[in-house]
Formats: sequence, C-alpha cells, structure tokens
Amino acid sequence: MRDVPKSMAASATALRLPLQVGEKRVDDRELVRLSQNGIEAAFEELVRRHQQRIFGLVAGILHRPDDVEDVAQQVFLKAYLGIKKFDQRAAFSTWLYKIAVNECWDYLRKRKVRPLVYEADLSEEQVSRLDGIVSSDRPPENASTRTETREILDKMLEELPEQDRQLLVLKEIEGFSVQELAEILDLNVNTVKVRLFRARGRIMDTYRRRLNSSANAHATSAAIRKES
Amino acid sequence: MAKDWGTTNAACESYEALLEDYLNGDLSAADGKTVTEHWQSCAGCRAALQNAAASLRLLKVAAPTSDPGHGFARVVMARIREKSAGGANFWQPFVSFGWRFAATATLALGVFVSYNAGWGHWLQPNVTTARPTESVDLFAPEPARVPANGDEVLMMVADNSHAKF
Repeated sequence: MRDVPKSMAASATALRLPLQVGEKRVDDRELVRLSQNGIEAAFEELVRRHQQRIFGLVAGILHRPDDVEDVAQQVFLKAYLGIKKFDQRAAFSTWLYKIAVNECWDYLRKRKVRPLVYEADLSEEQVSRLDGIVSSDRPPENASTRTETREILDKMLEELPEQDRQLLVLKEIEGFSVQELAEILDLNVNTVKVRLFRARGRIMDTYRRRLNSSANAHATSAAIRKES
Repeated sequence: MAKDWGTTNAACESYEALLEDYLNGDLSAADGKTVTEHWQSCAGCRAALQNAAASLRLLKVAAPTSDPGHGFARVVMARIREKSAGGANFWQPFVSFGWRFAATATLALGVFVSYNAGWGHWLQPNVTTARPTESVDLFAPEPARVPANGDEVLMMVADNSHAKF
C-alpha cells in the first residue's frame, strides 16, 4: 500500500481508505503502519476489529460491568499514543492485550477493588436448575432463566481467588486460547494449563458449598414448618 | 441433591497440564491414550477430571461480552482528538515562552557580537589609550627629571641644599 504523507494526516477522517479490497481485508500490520503515519481512519478500523476482545478481556479481569467501557477506551487511547513506538515484532493484538491487562491492574490498584463475597442461599428451584446444567450439559431454557443462572455463576466466580476467576472467564467465557493467555499474562503455557485445571476444581468446590448450604437451609426451614 | 464431583487438587501434579489438554481435546492420539490409561487407573485424577468437565458445563451458561458496536470506535476517536487538542493547549504557554526567550537571547547575542566587533570602540574612543600599558612600580625612586624653567632650577637647588643639612 502507498505511503501517505503527513500533510494528509489532518484530513485523515475524510480520506477514503481501501480498508477492504474486494473480499480481502487489509491486515493489521498495514493498518498499524498507516496509523503510525497519522492516519486516524486506519486506527479507527483497528479499534473496530479489536474492541470486542478488549471488552471481553477487560470484563474478564475487572468483573465490574459498569467500568468496562471507560477502561476499554483508555486502552485504545494509550495504544494510539504509543503506536509510533510499536515495532510490530509481536502481533498488534498481543501488544494491545498487554496494554489492556496493565490498564486493568492500574485500575484495580487505584480503586483498591476487592472481590465481592456473596453468600446468600439459593432457592430450591435454582439448585435443581444448576444441578441440571452441571449434570447433563442442559442449557437454561429461556432468556430470563439464563440471565438468572449467569448471575448465580457470577457470584460464584467472585468467591474465587482473582487469578482463578480471570483465567476461567477469559478461557471459557471470552474464548481466549491457552497460548493467548500465556502471552497476555506473561506466563508459561504449562503454568496456564495447570492453573486453569486447578481453578476448575475450585469453582466446583464453591458450587458444592453453595448447594450444600442451600440444602441445609431448606432442610432447616422444612423442619421448622413441620414443627409449627 | 447435588452429585459429588470429587475433590479439588486430587490429581497427580505431573498430569494436571495433560488433563487440561485432554479436557480441551488438544492431545495427540498417542498422548490421549496415555492420559486415558492413567485416569482410568488413578481415582484422584478421575475425580479431578470429572470435576473439571462439570466446570466446563457450568461455565457454558455465560455468554461472552457483547460487541459494543460502531459507536464505541467513534467515541474512542473523539476522545483521541480531544486529548490531542488538550495536549496542544497544555503546551501552548511553554511554546510561547520558549519563542520569546529565543528572540530575546538572539537580540542580546547580536548586541554583544557587534559591540565586540568595533561598534563599542566608536562609542568610547579613548578608553584603551587612557589606561597605562605598562606596570608601574610605586616604590621605585622617581627618575631624574630635566628642569623645564628657571623656577624649577631654583627649587631643585633649594631641595638639594635642604637635604644636606
């Protein structure tokens, strides 16, 4: 692709970039190069391409839906300010994910956010629904049930150590691969696998604890009802 | 009532990473066979694997975060432009001061150079000639002078006579 002089950068938004040539998309490397030359439209295309994964990554780490958009915006702002120094030795996505992870740590440090602990009992209906999902891979039937189950799952995830929760959410919910997680979190691939496997055990411990405490609560209330 | 899904950390340490791969279907046929043979004969690994498989089903309930849409990219670009403009305004006073300082320094340098180059001599023509060029010994005796007129001759004779007495 052609080199765009800096003088054109001011009118970059008005510039019609051939970001898609026929069926073939301009790749990230080219868009990065154009962005480094000051073409805002190229950077905007990079934002569009990566915004969903950045949202997923930030949501997975923060676990605070209200703050995800602010932090994601900050990630892209930092990427824009630093793109001239990016030498493209790594993939743009990897570089961007690392910015996102650092931004999330900064955010957590500044806000001193601690995971919320939720220990309320589940209803009998919720217990049987969760048990059905875990036993037979049966997804919740309708949207409201799915939302409710997701909320219960979120609360269980909040009870886990932060690293376990992040790994499980990023891998199983946001769809990051083990290799990607290793690169993003600066960990060995094998370490990620071991930690993930242990985190799976811990969330099932949380799950069992909740079911047991709910079963005990229901048994007690049934006994009280019977006595009265 | 909930089933018992086994206990945490019951798997053999050397098999944890392999069991994770097994769960995700990332093992080769040969490695898969080895792991299968192991968990079939190891109660701890079997329980941990069942546990992990159950967690996989549990986590399937959650959907990934949805795409924020095209509006997000526009908001980001607007923030970038705002930040760039804000950056320019922030530095503007420093830039103005820098230019003023540079102009003043250039003027001062010009005056200094032209003064040294001779312009200053024209303003003060006798400064250098009025200054003594040789060092003077204040304690050396005054050199003998030739009297300029008759009065001075008389004064010298009187001094000499006075010195003898």
